[in-house]
Amino acid sequence: MAEFAKGLFTAPDWRYLPDLSARMLETVEIAVVATVLATLVSFPLGLLAAHNTTPWVPIGWLVKGFLALLRAVPEVLWALLFVAGVGLGVLPGVIAITVATIGFLGKFFAESFEVVPTGPIEGVAAHGASGLAQRTFGVLPLAMPDVLGQFLYGLDSSMRFATILGYVGAGGIGFDMMEARRLFKYDRLIMIIVAVAIVIALIDWLSDAIRRRLF
Amino acid sequence: MALGCDPPEAVLIPPKPPSRAPIWVFAVAVITIAAALHLQLKFGDLAQGLGDLVGYIQRYRDPAWQELPGDVPLIFQTLAMGVWGTFIAFAIAATLLLWSTRNLAPTGLTYQVARGALNFFRAMPDFLLALVFVAAVGLGPLPGVIALGLHSSGFLGKALAESLERLPKGTYEGVTASGATRFQVLMFAGWPSISREVVGFGLYTFDRNVRTAMLLGIVGAGGIGMRLKESIDLRDYSRSASIIVLIIITVLAIDTLSDGLRRRLR
Repeated sequence: MAEFAKGLFTAPDWRYLPDLSARMLETVEIAVVATVLATLVSFPLGLLAAHNTTPWVPIGWLVKGFLALLRAVPEVLWALLFVAGVGLGVLPGVIAITVATIGFLGKFFAESFEVVPTGPIEGVAAHGASGLAQRTFGVLPLAMPDVLGQFLYGLDSSMRFATILGYVGAGGIGFDMMEARRLFKYDRLIMIIVAVAIVIALIDWLSDAIRRRLF
Repeated sequence: MALGCDPPEAVLIPPKPPSRAPIWVFAVAVITIAAALHLQLKFGDLAQGLGDLVGYIQRYRDPAWQELPGDVPLIFQTLAMGVWGTFIAFAIAATLLLWSTRNLAPTGLTYQVARGALNFFRAMPDFLLALVFVAAVGLGPLPGVIALGLHSSGFLGKALAESLERLPKGTYEGVTASGATRFQVLMFAGWPSISREVVGFGLYTFDRNVRTAMLLGIVGAGGIGMRLKESIDLRDYSRSASIIVLIIITVLAIDTLSDGLRRRLR
């Protein structure tokens, strides 16, 4: 391990910087697109799963079970699966993150809808609102702050997953990581490690800032 | 007070300022579409790929149940990795705890340094750490345990420090007034107040660590993941299927267990 540590603390390979930035940008884009897609899909799924907004309670159980299944499959497995199905590249990575994120975002959204206080909903209903209007003007606005917070969490989680995708061939910085380690290019490996740490810290800071403005 | 009596100015409410939400939604939409275009995502490929995907999934339809008893010891190894990883995380978080709590740290600088270290560990994806440690110490569960311990210490340390900071000042003042050193304040004022939360955090960390441990094997860090990678590389689909089923069952079991335990704690 000592030789490894010695090898790790070499001077970084600055010529690699433009490639590294391009790859990191790609990784961030994968995470963003996947999170937004997952949020769009999780919204109706969460509405169907929450027992106070679902049209029929058994549908709620079915959807919750489906989401639990999506969660139980380890995320890396989704990546492997979609790479095998769709081929190498960025697309399977985006789909894999989307599917994995829908698993927990759907559950979080459903929970946010369920803990909405009933008073305001009764108020909306007292105006003669239909079920759909009750959900749109009652439940949704009350759950929105939680939903946004969960979206930010999903963004963070997707970013972490996106950094690993490349390891199984699904695009992003993971591939460079694997290559740098296998070819013993430790000067690149340090740059990758630092870049990943910086980007994730940036995204953390950004979501903290957004959260502070919201709450 | 009858409605018609009020002078008009008194009941005039200023118009609600236009909501800024559409701007944010628009911004997010633009960023997403720009990113998707830059990535040259062709969702049409997905439709084509879907047929291939179904065909690929069908290869997994015949799990090799007879191989399962051989894999169960690996599940225990993975669970053990989770336990040790959580243990190391606690060790690191506890060591740094005194310096990473704002009201217990000796100076502002030590606080920043300690928190910075924890944040760094939290930011590093566990897979990346595992990759690095596999390169350093070789294959097997050890690099996985180290990676898990380091990464989860970041989250655990931050959570513990934040719950210590949330305690009412009176709790600390009481113990300090009797002449306690900072460490004694931590042990006699801080720890008893948060011990319940700590158990909850510990369970959550253990849950996460076991889930991650299952997959760290894919990069060579031991546990059931290694066998999974083997069988996928050898295109042994029925073996892979049985391992995946085993993983899913174990994950669901641990989730239910820790959910149940956490609900009991509350």
